[in-house]
Parts: sequence; C-alpha cells; structure tokens
Amino acid sequence: MTRLARTNPWSGIALAAGIFVTCLLLALAFGPASLSLGQIWRQATTGPAQGDLANAIFWQIRLPRVLLACLVGAELAVAGVILQDLFLNPLTDPYVTGVSSGAALGATVGIVLHLAQLPWITVLALIGGFVTVGVVWMAARRRGRIDVFVLLLAGVTISYLASAVVTVLMIRAGQDMHAIVYWLMGSFSGRGWTEVEIALIAVPFMIVPLFFAKEMDILLQGEKRALELGVEVERTKRVLLVTAGLLTAIAVSVCGIIGFVGLVVPHIVRLLVGPGHCRLLPVSLLVGASMLCVADLLSRTVIAPNEIPVGVVTTFVGAPLFVYLLRRGRKI
Amino acid sequence: MAMVSLHDVAFGYDERLVLRRISFDLEDGDFIGIVGPNASGKSTLIDLIDGILRPVSGDVLVNGVPTRKYRRRDMAKEVALVPQHFDLDFDLAVREVVEMGSYCRGKDVGSCGDAEQTLARLGVADLAGRRFSELSGGEKQLVVLAQALMQQAQVLLLDEPASALDVSHQLRLFDLLRQLNGDGLTVLCILHDLNLAIHYFDKLLVLSGGEVAAYGPPEEVLRPEIVEAVYGVRAYLHRHAGRTFLTFSPRLRGERLGRVHLVCGGGTGSGLMRELVDAGYDVSAGVLNALDTDEATGQELGLPMAVEAPFSPVGDEAHGENLALMRAADLVIVTAVPVSHGNARNIAAAVEAASTGTPVWAARGVLDGDFAGVTGELDPAGARYFAGDEEMLTALRERGAPAAAAPPAARTADPGA
Repeated sequence: MTRLARTNPWSGIALAAGIFVTCLLLALAFGPASLSLGQIWRQATTGPAQGDLANAIFWQIRLPRVLLACLVGAELAVAGVILQDLFLNPLTDPYVTGVSSGAALGATVGIVLHLAQLPWITVLALIGGFVTVGVVWMAARRRGRIDVFVLLLAGVTISYLASAVVTVLMIRAGQDMHAIVYWLMGSFSGRGWTEVEIALIAVPFMIVPLFFAKEMDILLQGEKRALELGVEVERTKRVLLVTAGLLTAIAVSVCGIIGFVGLVVPHIVRLLVGPGHCRLLPVSLLVGASMLCVADLLSRTVIAPNEIPVGVVTTFVGAPLFVYLLRRGRKI
Repeated sequence: MAMVSLHDVAFGYDERLVLRRISFDLEDGDFIGIVGPNASGKSTLIDLIDGILRPVSGDVLVNGVPTRKYRRRDMAKEVALVPQHFDLDFDLAVREVVEMGSYCRGKDVGSCGDAEQTLARLGVADLAGRRFSELSGGEKQLVVLAQALMQQAQVLLLDEPASALDVSHQLRLFDLLRQLNGDGLTVLCILHDLNLAIHYFDKLLVLSGGEVAAYGPPEEVLRPEIVEAVYGVRAYLHRHAGRTFLTFSPRLRGERLGRVHLVCGGGTGSGLMRELVDAGYDVSAGVLNALDTDEATGQELGLPMAVEAPFSPVGDEAHGENLALMRAADLVIVTAVPVSHGNARNIAAAVEAASTGTPVWAARGVLDGDFAGVTGELDPAGARYFAGDEEMLTALRERGAPAAAAPPAARTADPGA
C-alpha cells in the first residue's frame, strides 16, 4: 500500500477517501439506536421530517454529531501538518500555538458567567482563540518577519498563562467546575447544527494550504533555502500560520480540546504517503476526519449509555497505531 | 553590462560591519573563486548578491537592477545559490528534491527543466529514484547542485561546495563546474583550499576582515606575502611539473625567538632552514651559490641570503653581505657543508662572528669535509660542536629566548672525542 501510495499521487487520496466514506457510514449506522444502510439512505434522501423517531435520531442527533467530528478531525489534522512543517519540529501539535488555551479561557468565562446556551460558550471560545492568534502573532513579529521560534515560545507562554487563569476561574466556579472540566476534556455530545455551521467556516481554510503545497515542500529545507529557491517565505508563513491558528480556534471552540489527532495524524500519513504536501495535506484531512469520526463512534458506543471522553479514545486508538508504524522503521 | 555588480557595498549586523568597501563586477562567463579566512564575510557576500541580505550602503545590482527591487521568484531565475549547509530530514525522493529547483520557473519549465536530465548532466542519473536521506555526503552535494541548476539561472553562486567532499569528489565537482562554465554559466564559488583555487579558477577574490584584500589571476593574488598578511601563516610557493602550489606552516605571531644564520650549501642546510622557520626563528643564510639546493630552499622560504653567482668562489661583495647578516644574528650555525677554497671565506666569517661574541654552533661533520684546512680555526674561536641537526634543535629549544644565550666560553664538546 505504501509503495502504491507513493508512486501514484491519486491512489493514496482515493484510498483515504474510501476509508473516510466507510468510517462515515459506520458512524452514522451505529449508536444507541442502530440504523441499517438502507435506513441511512432513506433518511438522507427524504430529509428532515416531523414525528418520525428514526428521522429525528438521524437528522437531529447523529448526522450533525458525525459531521462535526469529521470536520474537527480534518481541521486539526491540517493545522497539525502546517505547524509541524513550518516549525520543522515533529513534536508540534495545533495546541502549541496557545490557541486552544485561549479558546478554553473564552469557554470557561462563558460557563462561569452562566451563558448557558452552548452557542454563546462556543462564540466566546472562538473569540478567545482568535485573540490568542493575534497576541502570539504580535509577539513573534520582528522587523516585518515572523520568527517561528519566538512564535513557538510565545505560544507556549500564552498557553500557560491562559491555563493559569482557567485554573483560577475553576477554583472560584463552585458547581460549574464540572462543566468546565467536561468542556476541557473535549466532547461531541449535545452538539448540533449550530456547531456544524461554525465548523463549516473552516472549510475554506482547509483548502488554502493546498495552494501552498509546493512552497511547503520547499520550506522543509529551511527558510533560507526556500528564499534562495524563490519562495516568498514571509508571505507564505503569514498565510499558513494564520490559517493554522484559525483552524485550531474553530475546532476547539465547537468541541473543546481533543488531543492527539493534530499530532499523530500528520505523522501517520507522512509514513504512508511521504512528506510531499500535495498528497500529505488531502490525505491528512481525510484521515483526520476518519480518525475522529471513528473515535467518536467508539466513545459513544463502547460503554453506552455512558460516554468515554473522545480525547481518551483518540489516544487509545492512535498511540498503538503510531508506535506500530514507527517500529516499522520509517523516518518521520 | 556586468551580470552582477557591487559598488562600494557595506553590510553589517546592527553596529558591526561585516563587509566594507566591496566593489567588483561579475561578467558573463566569469569563473571566479572567493577565498579568505573564516569570518571574512564570504558567505555574507554571496547572500548579498542573491538578495537575501540587503546592503547597509552601496548598491548590489543584478543585471543592472538593485537586488531589493527583485521579487524572490524573479531573483531565483537570475541567480542560483548552492548553500554550504543543506539538510533535509524528510523522506523525499531525489527526483522530488531536484524538482524543487524549478519552482521559480512556475509552469514554464524550460528546455532543460527535467530532473533526470539535470542529474545526468552531473553524471549521477542513477540517483533519481533513490531517497535523499540515504545518499552519501558527496551525492547530496551533487543533488543540491542539480537543484540549483534547475533554476536555469545565468549566475551560479556556491558556498564551500567542496568542504564535505573527499579529494576525488572535490576534483570531480570542480571539473563539473568548469564544464558548466564552458556551457555558459557564470560561476562565483567560495572555497577554502587555496591549491584548488589556484588550479581551477580564472580569477580569485581574496576577502580579509570584510574587505577585498586582492582580486586578480590566482598566481598574482596568492603571493606568499598576501597569504601571510591575510591568513597569518607562512606560505611557500612551489613550482612542480608545470603546476604551482602552495604549502603552509604556522607562524608564531608576536614572539621573537631570535635570528639564526646558517653557513651551509649543497643541501646540508635545507632541513634546518625549514625546521627553524617552522619553529618561529628568523633565519638567514650565506654565502650560497645561486641554484644551489640550499639557495633554492631559502628562496622558497623567502629568507634573506648572501648569494654568489653559480659555481663561483665567494667574492668580496657577497662576503660583506654575509658578515652583515651574521652581525644581525643571535646565533651562527655551520652545517656539515664540504669546505673548499670556493667557500672557505664562510668559515672565516663564522670565526670572525665568534670573535665578536656571537655564539657559533657547528656540525661535527664539517671537520670531515674540509678540503681547505680552515675549519680548525673554529674550535679555538669558541665554536660548540654537535653530532647533527636533531641535537642542535634540541639544544636550541633548551636554550630558549636569545637573552638566555649561552656565552661562547661554554663549550662542552671536544672535537677529538
């Protein structure tokens, strides 16, 4: 599979797309009330209808939740690819930019202020994430250049700062503490079409990096070499860093902090299709969507009617897979 | 119009200027090497030409246009650069790495824009399918060169392309560069090996302390005195089998060990000359006949010498010079040179030096090759005898600085023993 995926650029993408469709169907089919493929087809074609329980399960609960998981998985995976390759650091995940902590702070403020409707918490989280992108950006700007190393440090610093404020708020929160902890762990339960609509804002940002695939390839050789080969490095970094920040902020704002996807999906995909971005980006997008979609399926079915936090599932599924692939001895 | 032209360029980081008063032109078809000590600003210079750095003052023009007016992509079409350090920790195929070079050409990939063809041009077509990370250092260097050639720029800048290569790869690389230059590429290459620089390049630019120390044909530019001034080492120019090459020895700056005058000839003094020069002594010699082996060595080392015409006995003029050199010396050494009527005056000069208080050391062998019967005067004058060069050098090391020189009376060796 690896060899095939490397020799023909489309075969890897086609394979990933096949896996994604399979995962999507599985996630739509299984749950407390299972649906057959035929039922899924019927519900999907008839559209939302009143008074039908199966229809309500499909349209009101399952479809938005599954779509949201797919979107968030794709967003985190694409952001992970961008940041790992701009920082040339394999340990980077979308959360090192501090965006997730900023978003968490926004959400925590929302919870403490009892803005009970979820959209408000989501919007505050989104604002928190965007503000963090801006602050980190200003910190890393020197004489018109973005220093990625400073950006990384600023991101980590802001991350700690925001976490400290969240901790203070949690101590003061009393009975809201449970809600905050639950939000921080990340979950898709109770999310609906509003969150899907917010997550859909990110779709254009998932496509932007595809236009920079060549530049990202060349940047693997370092910024100076990229300049020598004719890449407008600063402009490319600007676009990509903002893109990654927005993707992360949007993902975190709708479902909380879900770990491991943004870190591990780019690595897994790099091992399978190589580091070239015209394959790495679309395949990561599809694999990220598949992975989070399946992880959410497991989180709501394994110990039903209770849920395992989806971040725990991603780690349990992703870690062994990642270790297995690393053991096969390919370079990251 | 020059392809690249620098007018009174200065560049610095913050306050400290790294380059000053740099002016030179790179014409179409030039093949120029840049040499100079570490931190003399060589890499900075080529980064300025490539527009990656901007001059603090002065102009850097590429095809008559200041580099700051170029977009990066347009610059990459004019000037290609092969960096000194290149690493890629990602698992890419060589073909993919080479193809990155054509980025600046966009979709309009020109006549020779094929990665395989470019690798074939460098004689490494078989690398195309390999993984870049699995290549040897020499192979990687060629792949990076191929990447730069994909830019199809008119000017190729190289930053120490040979530093990681063994001698055969070095020669192969420079032969390739010559060949590319023959195909019309203008080449400006930083290198450290001065002998490769002499051998391969039409012109050399010597940078020292951020300024141009010399610019011109290699043999004019790499004269020993320039090398010595720029690098602070002694350099010796040799000609052998129609080629010119340099050898080096360290120079001990600041510390004056003293001046030694050698009475030698016929190759009996060459070894000592080198040893003494390398050890940091000022060395003179005489009287020697021109074309004598010792005279040739002295010339290479750039020593002051009293010289007589070939195969002629020592005349008054040369003898006078010799006495003057001896007066300036802290020590006179007489090697195991055969003594005949032709050079008997040298022994007389040594005896005269001894009588004025200059210590005279003699190799005992000089007594055996005396066909003029004059060496007997050395002993009464206070000469100290040694078995050979090694013993003398050991004694010199123990003797230390000239102030601690042994008085002439302190002779220990007995000529009869």
